[in-house]
Amino acid sequence: MINSQNKSIVLISQSDVILAGLTEILKGSIAGEIIQLHRGDEIIDFPELAGNFLVIATHEELEKSTALIRQILPVTGSVQFMALVSDSNAASSITLNDSSALICYKVNEILNSFANNQAKDADTELTRREIEVLQLLTKGYSNKEIADHLFVSTHTVISHRKNISEKTGIKSASGLTMYAILKKVIDVSDINPEELI
Amino acid sequence: MELFNENSKLASVILKDYSLLPVINRLGIQLGFGDKTIRDICNENGIDLNFFVETINVFHYEAYFPEKRLLDFPVTIVIDYLVKTHQYYVNYLMPENDRLIELFLSANPEESPENELVRKFYAKFKEEFVIHINFEESVMFPYILELNRVIENPDSSMQFRLKYPDYSISGFEKEHSHMDDKMDDLKNIIIKYLPPNYDQNRGNAFLSNLFLFEKDLKNHSRIEDHILIPKVKQLEMVLQNHD
Repeated sequence: MINSQNKSIVLISQSDVILAGLTEILKGSIAGEIIQLHRGDEIIDFPELAGNFLVIATHEELEKSTALIRQILPVTGSVQFMALVSDSNAASSITLNDSSALICYKVNEILNSFANNQAKDADTELTRREIEVLQLLTKGYSNKEIADHLFVSTHTVISHRKNISEKTGIKSASGLTMYAILKKVIDVSDINPEELI
Repeated sequence: MELFNENSKLASVILKDYSLLPVINRLGIQLGFGDKTIRDICNENGIDLNFFVETINVFHYEAYFPEKRLLDFPVTIVIDYLVKTHQYYVNYLMPENDRLIELFLSANPEESPENELVRKFYAKFKEEFVIHINFEESVMFPYILELNRVIENPDSSMQFRLKYPDYSISGFEKEHSHMDDKMDDLKNIIIKYLPPNYDQNRGNAFLSNLFLFEKDLKNHSRIEDHILIPKVKQLEMVLQNHD
């Protein structure tokens, strides 16, 4: 799962050599994921994507897939494109003869521009509503019960839960209970620790 | 990332990726093999060469996906390997985790309420782990072994069909997810949220072992997904074609 404030790189190339090489060069400079695709339309296999994206692909592949990628990648962040070309001086493209350091530099320039646009998004604190959902969850309420209690739909509760897990990095109910206690969102005496933890 | 093959020297393989040490042990090899190649060592020890190479590559290189033609070895040796992996977890890695978590939580003479929480959560994680192993050893593996027996000896096919009318491996829900989630949660809780009033070195020792465990478990899942399940689907096809 990818945090909404994360930046990820999507590499598209038919060539395993290029995919493996670029991944090796770039993996140290990005906190998000590097997704390797042989074809642009394989992006459909990643329905959980969110955040900001830098798509790196050949001109040919970019022409074919840009529209599709814009359509599929979520609106939670922005998408930028970089061309992979055999020879060019443009800063927005990577050439096969670029040194590793130059490739990292070019890519980071673009990644940094995301950060400036999205600075306030880097907030991982839970919202008040999410804290309410978390409190009920730790008391053992089901999604349906939480929904009834807060007068919202089950769908909304599920979406809150997804956001809570993305922000905290914790997925299981007992893990979230533990988080809630450590963060003093709930008191240990409110729950049955034997059962939920 | 490089891939290994039958001409690689096993010593160089291990020097490159020491996390393969328990893997070669499970495959039946001990250290002290000099400069022998993987082919020599497999021949000497009666180990299936393809299975050996595929397994270390799946383990070593996350994005590696074996070619179909390389799956030409009996399903029984895959199961044998997976059972040995379980034994390694139960007899070594889990007790080691137990020891290290206790060492880390008991470093502070004043028992904190947080420590108690970590202990309880760890116990939950172990529960999931036991459920997973039991499911595979008492439900999934027996199904695969019986399927394999029916292919070898079609006389018993009636009995098999009565017991497994649908005979499809896809029908077995994969039971990995909960355990993986709890493992991730435990790491995140310690790294991000637990107040650091414990001995750092002992905390690191526990986390290192947990990371080792995680890597091994992920590869265990990948060997099931990329080697075992495709093989079982092949066998199911063979049986279907008998009909």
